[in-house]
Amino acid sequence: MEALSHLLAGFAAALSVHYLLYAFAGCMLGTLIGLLPGLGPAAGTAILIPLTFSLDATGSIIMLCAIYYGAMYGGTITSVLMNVPGEGASAITCIDGYQMAKRGRAGAALAIAAIGSFVGGTIATVVLVFAAPPLAAVALKFGPPEFFGLMLLGLVLLITFSSENVVLGLLSALIGMALSIPGTDFVEGTPRMTFGILELMDGVGFVPVIMGLYGIGEVLAGLERKDPPITTMDINAKTLTAEEAKASVMPIARGTVIGTFLGLIPGIGTILPTLVSYATEKKLSKHPERFGQGAIEGVAGPETTNNAYANGALIPLFTLGVPASPTIAVLLGAFMMNGLAPGPFLFRDKPDFVWGVIASLYVGNLILLILNLPLVGLWVRLLRIPHSILFSLVLAFTVVGAFVTSNSIFDIGVLLAFGLIGYVFNKIGIPTAPMAFTLILGPLTENSLRQSLSMSGGDPAIFMRSATSISLLVLAVAALVWTAFSGLRRRRAAGGA
Amino acid sequence: MRRGRLVATGAMLAFCLFALWQSLLLPLTDRLGPGPGFFPFWLSLVGSAFAVALLVSIYREAPDPADADVRILPHGPGGRRWLAVVVSMAAVTAAMDFVGFRVAMLVFNAALVIALGERRWWIVAVFAVLGSYGVHYVFTTWLDVLLPSGRFGL
Repeated sequence: MEALSHLLAGFAAALSVHYLLYAFAGCMLGTLIGLLPGLGPAAGTAILIPLTFSLDATGSIIMLCAIYYGAMYGGTITSVLMNVPGEGASAITCIDGYQMAKRGRAGAALAIAAIGSFVGGTIATVVLVFAAPPLAAVALKFGPPEFFGLMLLGLVLLITFSSENVVLGLLSALIGMALSIPGTDFVEGTPRMTFGILELMDGVGFVPVIMGLYGIGEVLAGLERKDPPITTMDINAKTLTAEEAKASVMPIARGTVIGTFLGLIPGIGTILPTLVSYATEKKLSKHPERFGQGAIEGVAGPETTNNAYANGALIPLFTLGVPASPTIAVLLGAFMMNGLAPGPFLFRDKPDFVWGVIASLYVGNLILLILNLPLVGLWVRLLRIPHSILFSLVLAFTVVGAFVTSNSIFDIGVLLAFGLIGYVFNKIGIPTAPMAFTLILGPLTENSLRQSLSMSGGDPAIFMRSATSISLLVLAVAALVWTAFSGLRRRRAAGGA
Repeated sequence: MRRGRLVATGAMLAFCLFALWQSLLLPLTDRLGPGPGFFPFWLSLVGSAFAVALLVSIYREAPDPADADVRILPHGPGGRRWLAVVVSMAAVTAAMDFVGFRVAMLVFNAALVIALGERRWWIVAVFAVLGSYGVHYVFTTWLDVLLPSGRFGL
């Protein structure tokens, strides 16, 4: 009941005119960024962070969350109309969505994607409302040793789930952790590995790094490829039929459960939940041969999962301060830039902010549904803009965005350097997501480690003094061992084949 | 891409050894407990050991014949576009402090959109002006963000 009264207060804030405008602007901008092939929610959110600098903390996070799930839907539009996924999670939608478009059912595909996204996102937010406060209450009892265990577990899960090759994922994670070292020591206030560079006193900025890895890196990769055909399928007047709507009900229900549940687990990423949803729908269908030929269940399920995951993944962020995906890691960074530390203390110390943002998630999902059903025609026209203009816009915006982060030209250099690193890493198969995670979580991990050892006078046994701390460390080790074991088994199977 | 991974891991090892040396110049402990050098020291030690193990593992892998077809640096028309973008971004980074935001972005936007294939002069002009003077107006007037004006105040 207390959660409901907080939520009502949150709605009072979220429904104010300026916050509604921010949510609206975020949905529009997010959808626009999601339309651009190769630029996913992580790059889009990072690229648009500078737009929120002049807003207050609540407005800033409301807009960024709206950009996040707007970008998820934007990727769907190009998947259905052009057979080109705007971002990874929409790749599954290409399979049946584009086939539906070829049969003249593009409008129906986009409509069910919008409706499924709304249902999945809204229900995941309801789960957030009821699950978050008790989870935050448990986490309030955590001390530095427990937080260290939690950070370690989060990092292990993020690395193992986000990388096909865990060893290369670890390599990427270590690089990110190393990048988090330069700066000012938070205890002694002395410079640490800044080499006399003034701009490094605040550390390596995560916004230019993320924009470089995900934005510039993807654009550079896209420049090599031939431009995808600009022709798109026409949206005709035929909307969803009653039969299609009925066939989508259970896929939407299942997609909501899959996305919300998997959003709780750090590191899963956006592609796996949609794959699980598609595979589930195909398995449960009485006519699985229809999948791949334009089955509406193949669009309804994954698209619902997509948005349910996007909202469900906010639960570990709000309650524990652990990001579940690169995009959530960007949001975590945005929280920190606004002087907020996501986690249990946020619920206790800034309830107005937290419940205002949670209420705005409902509102944003509704805005997305209302916007995207009638505006699909506009997005289609935007897709006809030549890629020379679109990519130039993105590049110019990232340069401006990197500069205004700290009013420093040094950050433009960081943007370019990490754009090249992201490009090269993608070519040689080193995942970039672990680097992004550890760049943001590295300082938090070090903080909890040093605080713990300071409390115990340097005795590492402090990590074994509480059941919670021991459990988290054991889980982290178990996850690593299981991943190593699975990897070895896969290699033996591949060698034997 | 075996060779690429060897190079990346070698670079990582070099960086870790450098960080290890730098961390030894900082105090590992202080009166409160672990010092500023504590975390970098252990991280770079673990990182170095890991990088050595990975180098050995990658070196012992049988070369993949498919790697011969993979080229890290782009080539052909795509390669020229790629190089033009990288050079433009490097140039704007180097020049912005001297010529100011508006001039730097004007030239950058024009060069970028031409490098990416646009040939209609009016689109190039509109994009360049909007992306420089337009963006400058938005950030300085609406968003209260200072942007560099360079030596000439243009």
